Amino acid sequence: MLLEVKELTCSLRLAGQEVPIVDGVSFNLQAGKCLALVGESGCGKSMTALSLLRLQPKVAHIVGGQVLLSGKNLLGYSVPQMYQVRGREMSMIFQEPMTSLNPVVRVGQQVMEAVMLHEQVSKKAARSRSIELFKRVKIPQPEQRFEAYPHQLSGGLKQRVMIAMALSTRPKVLLADEPTTALDVTIQAQILELLRELLQDFQMAMLLITHDLGVVNQIADDIAVMYAGRIVEQAERRQLLTQPQHPYTRGLLGALPGRAAPKAALSEITGSVPSPAHWPSGCRFRPRCAEAMERCGHAFPELIQLGETRVACFARQTNQEDR
Amino acid sequence: MTAADPLLSVQQLRTWFPIRQGVFKRVVGHVRAVDDVSFQVERGKTLALVGESGCGKTTVGRSILRLVPAQAGRVIFEGRDLLALPEAELRAVRRNVQMVFQDPMTSLNPRMRVLDLVAEGIDAFGLAESREQRRALVIAALDKVQLSEEHLRRFPHEFSGGQRQRLGIARALAVGPKLLICDEAVSALDVSIQAQILNLLGQLQRDLGLAYLFITHDMSVVRHLADDVAVMHLGKIVEQAPTAQLFDAPQHPYSRTLLSAVPSADPDVPRLGAFE
Repeated sequence: MLLEVKELTCSLRLAGQEVPIVDGVSFNLQAGKCLALVGESGCGKSMTALSLLRLQPKVAHIVGGQVLLSGKNLLGYSVPQMYQVRGREMSMIFQEPMTSLNPVVRVGQQVMEAVMLHEQVSKKAARSRSIELFKRVKIPQPEQRFEAYPHQLSGGLKQRVMIAMALSTRPKVLLADEPTTALDVTIQAQILELLRELLQDFQMAMLLITHDLGVVNQIADDIAVMYAGRIVEQAERRQLLTQPQHPYTRGLLGALPGRAAPKAALSEITGSVPSPAHWPSGCRFRPRCAEAMERCGHAFPELIQLGETRVACFARQTNQEDR
Repeated sequence: MTAADPLLSVQQLRTWFPIRQGVFKRVVGHVRAVDDVSFQVERGKTLALVGESGCGKTTVGRSILRLVPAQAGRVIFEGRDLLALPEAELRAVRRNVQMVFQDPMTSLNPRMRVLDLVAEGIDAFGLAESREQRRALVIAALDKVQLSEEHLRRFPHEFSGGQRQRLGIARALAVGPKLLICDEAVSALDVSIQAQILNLLGQLQRDLGLAYLFITHDMSVVRHLADDVAVMHLGKIVEQAPTAQLFDAPQHPYSRTLLSAVPSADPDVPRLGAFE
């Protein structure tokens, strides 16, 4: 296991009380595999990724759990030790490449900086390494593009530059936060294809953060669905997409316009995602859930293995006990 | 004009933006944002205008309402050419053609209460004779989007994203339009909320006989709600067909590329192929 996350909890001070916006999240990443963390806005998926690198915003604190990278707990690392992890062992790419790149520095220079920051190499060597990386991420005319400024590149090319930078130190783990959300579908398809290929070639472990179940289906091996700070269901890709167990997962899949018959009413999840300050007691999906029982208001359902799927829902777990 | 005529007929619409350079701001060329675009929207039906960013689909929507000036072409709405109408008559027609935008947070004035936000159109067209009537019209519009009287005194920030988009729709519906131009109206919403709004739009179409010009980049939304689809690429419509036909057998190479790039959440559909 390359990366093991155990009971990670990250909390935020809201209206005078500590609210765990990432609440007891556990998952594993394996070399060459992609785990997708799926959920709607505000479910805590980005915060989970940032917490792994300990880059969560200042107002949030990691209050519990372990992040084990090759067996070593990153949460026990000092700040300088974390510098050695970020970008070297674990890299991250973001949704909007324009805001992640420095607009007044040539893109090639920016990738060289990343290389030279982590390795004692000459400028010349860093330059040729960077051009190699540009070729690796399939940037056409890499030598010319090396001299370009970010605004001279299209969105897809900028994301490729970001990927080149993330790969410059051959990290073991790649965190990708909505890497294709800002891109057009044709470009998105190219970037997903590239990421899947790189995952195999570099034998990296990848955590993909996204809200798009279509994207997940293209690239992920396993899927974890998050709702209000907790993972509510986790399974292998096909299993989760064809036999969703949690009412929320079922609702999400039923709400996808591509899967229903044209013009048919889509299944709705009533209400909206509650803000962390107004999370209900017990299961946080309870107010929107058609299968809610009395028990759901009192306690959190734990994530329990049921057949092929891990699911956190009393309705499913009770059915199982009855049998 | 007969009932068989389309509600909206756009003919050879051309919107070019001049590129000016130098001290005298001489026009040195044009951005051909919309170039000879023609299509029709039938009463009570939905035409989806799809394409990737920068293809000109938004400019088409804005040109129809003369929010940007078109260079050439005709926009026939109920027998009258909107591009040739004098300003005063155009205003009257705008009551029949309303627009719903992508981001309700930026299209709703944050300092106005719901009552006044929704009543803006009612006031502009002088549809209410008294305060009571104005209020009743607003409540009726809110009712159509499943919001209620209790929301009247609230500000936009007090609503969730889905509710704000309902407000945007209520604003448009308040003046009794026949055609809604929805510009990426569900693109910024989470899936579960998007489903609510798509269902609402479908229901409104059945109840009120609305026609939609649905401008979007999202092919799964198109497949779900459109009767006909026009695919735009670089300012031109490259293919136009009934929805099922376009999805089953796209003819133009660009439509094929676009469709094959759409990621499906169905594990039995093969994953995306290579696009290099």
